[in-house]
Amino acid sequence: MKPNFHSPPAGARARRENLAAAMLLAPFALVFLLFFLVPALQTLYLSLTESSLTRTSGFVGLANYATLVQDPGFWASLGNTFYFALLTVIPLTALGLVMALLVEHFTRARSWLQGAFFLPFVLPISVMTLIADWMLQPSSGIVNHLLGTQRAWLADLHWAMPMVAIGTIWWTVGFNMLMFIAGLRNIPVDLYEAAALDGARGFTLFRHITWPALRPVVGTAVLLSLIASLKIFGQTYILTTGGPFNTTRVTLHYMYETAFTQSDAGYAAAIAMAFVAIVIALSLLQGGLVRWSARKRA
Amino acid sequence: MTFIGKSLAALLVALCVPALAQARQQEGEQIEVRLWTLLSGGDGARMAALIQQFNASQREVRVVSTTLKWGEPFYTKLITASVVGAGPDLATVHLSRIPNLASGGVLRPIAAPELAASGLAGRDFFPRQWQKAQYEGDLYAVPLDLHPLVLYYNKTLAGEAGLLDGAGKLKPIEGVDALTAAFRAVREQTGKAGMTMESSQSSYAIWRLWLSMLAQRNVAVIDQGRFTYGRAGEECLAQVGAWFDRGYAVPGLDYAASTAQFMGGQAGFMINGAWEVPEMVRASTAGTLGFDYGIVPLPRMYDNASAWADSHALAIPVNQRTPMSPAKARAVLGFAAFVSRNSLRWAEGGHIPAYRPVAESAQARALMPNAMYAQAAQNVVYDPDGWYLGAAGPLQAMASKFLPAALSRQLTPAEALGMFEKEAGRLIKKRPPIY
Repeated sequence: MKPNFHSPPAGARARRENLAAAMLLAPFALVFLLFFLVPALQTLYLSLTESSLTRTSGFVGLANYATLVQDPGFWASLGNTFYFALLTVIPLTALGLVMALLVEHFTRARSWLQGAFFLPFVLPISVMTLIADWMLQPSSGIVNHLLGTQRAWLADLHWAMPMVAIGTIWWTVGFNMLMFIAGLRNIPVDLYEAAALDGARGFTLFRHITWPALRPVVGTAVLLSLIASLKIFGQTYILTTGGPFNTTRVTLHYMYETAFTQSDAGYAAAIAMAFVAIVIALSLLQGGLVRWSARKRA
Repeated sequence: MTFIGKSLAALLVALCVPALAQARQQEGEQIEVRLWTLLSGGDGARMAALIQQFNASQREVRVVSTTLKWGEPFYTKLITASVVGAGPDLATVHLSRIPNLASGGVLRPIAAPELAASGLAGRDFFPRQWQKAQYEGDLYAVPLDLHPLVLYYNKTLAGEAGLLDGAGKLKPIEGVDALTAAFRAVREQTGKAGMTMESSQSSYAIWRLWLSMLAQRNVAVIDQGRFTYGRAGEECLAQVGAWFDRGYAVPGLDYAASTAQFMGGQAGFMINGAWEVPEMVRASTAGTLGFDYGIVPLPRMYDNASAWADSHALAIPVNQRTPMSPAKARAVLGFAAFVSRNSLRWAEGGHIPAYRPVAESAQARALMPNAMYAQAAQNVVYDPDGWYLGAAGPLQAMASKFLPAALSRQLTPAEALGMFEKEAGRLIKKRPPIY
């Protein structure tokens, strides 16, 4: 290589690049450290103590976790959380894909459709739950009016969670749709043209070109929906307050009750840590599954 | 001015305002007392009027109030804010929460000389409320009122059902069977609901009624950290459930829907707190009620006439890191004394004043409709003492999840109480938290 006398020696340049990289990373690293890592470690410590809302009265080791394993309330709330995820993740992915296909298909109504499908996503949770609550009112709600029933959906043992799930799907499916639209627009048009020349059309095109090309997007959509669904709190807290009799009390709600209503921050921290571990394990498992299936096809 | 100029000016003002406020206080011109209340509706309006009246009555102290959501959110906020020193100077609390708030270190005791300086004295208050305002010998609140569970009735419907005497008043109802018969008579004679009360999920009404019924049988709900209601608790819950089962009452109504049902003339009786009185008075004077109403103390269903009640009170949050100056304490208690002396206005909210000079005055005795149920005050029971008990406390919150389900037949009384006990088990074994 010809020596370049205008730029500094290689060592200095590397140092400068490192410095630039560090400076670019610093704001994120600082925020991550201050608002995520430090609180996370504090929560971990808290989970090993007996604590009220603001005061720690002693280190108790793994006692909170020992209680947790035998706490039916915790396991029930975990069951409710998974039930909610089961009700939402697949519809969120499938509906998002269908909506994206519709938007891309109806080229003239494209922006209108896209707007209509995405609009609920911009609502704050308080507005979304208010709308859902109005629609589901026993005597005055439009749902009962249309069905000719008088059911108290959100107070019903069997219907409360599905109704929360439907409301959540309506509220958040727009995000998945946008991801799928982006995915669809990334598929080269010549693939379709070449296939069309070979006589492929309609569903065959979808099956052999669209679906395989969208596979990674589907994986991402499932993973993000799963994490979002496991983190559910606001919808059930506002719509059902965990009722009827705790059938919609999800894990984060149980943690909230433990910390704030009962002022048992140590135990609540243990719930939080256990829950984080479960979510991370599931995410890794799901990510692994996606990679495994991709490798198998390749 | 440019945008940047405006922003800078705004910033400057924002920076100076606290300094200005401090300077003003140092000059001794005016002390600002920040009050947090959980009072909404008519109670909120009456408190606002009392504050306005107080602020207009003198120039040294100015009370500024903030209204927060009733119940668990209010107490959670009060506890956390007070502990970190960001709480208000004064707060409305329920006397049933004193064991929780005082033992947890949320409230600041009121010393005898401070109280005396404000012109208030223990003998000015009814003994029961005065005693409920104390914890381990210290005073933690100035009691404001007493609001018991009462029975409202619609004179038109009760009359058609043959339940009124010659003077148009409700004939005495004695015993749970007589009460059930009264509900049935309204249902059968008028086609309207016999009774209404809130019974949707998270309703607190059933806890209050259940506690009253158990007290009438001399059974304690909880004693020394153990549930002691036993068979009686199941029977009482089943009794209320039967009113819904047999169609005397409509299940699943939330608070607003249940009061609307009564106000709309669709139910003969309503079991609710005395706090609905202002709404009855308002509708009655406005001529929108459509019927004459009456109120009686909760009937004696079993051995005695106990009725659940609670009291509002004014208390001083501890704010550990920013202790209250003596001047501020004087201002705060001065306001509490003012509210006590003017609690006739407060009584218009249906409440029975805790301040005896007002409560025993001729005006208070003549105040309608309060006079109809004034004798309820003799038989009231509060939530039992315990850090987890009291208005919107952890145990009430748990009960409000399970007990209503026994009225809508989603659970049997035994199932509902079983689930309630299981959930409460961990709670009542715990040591009281120091917040």
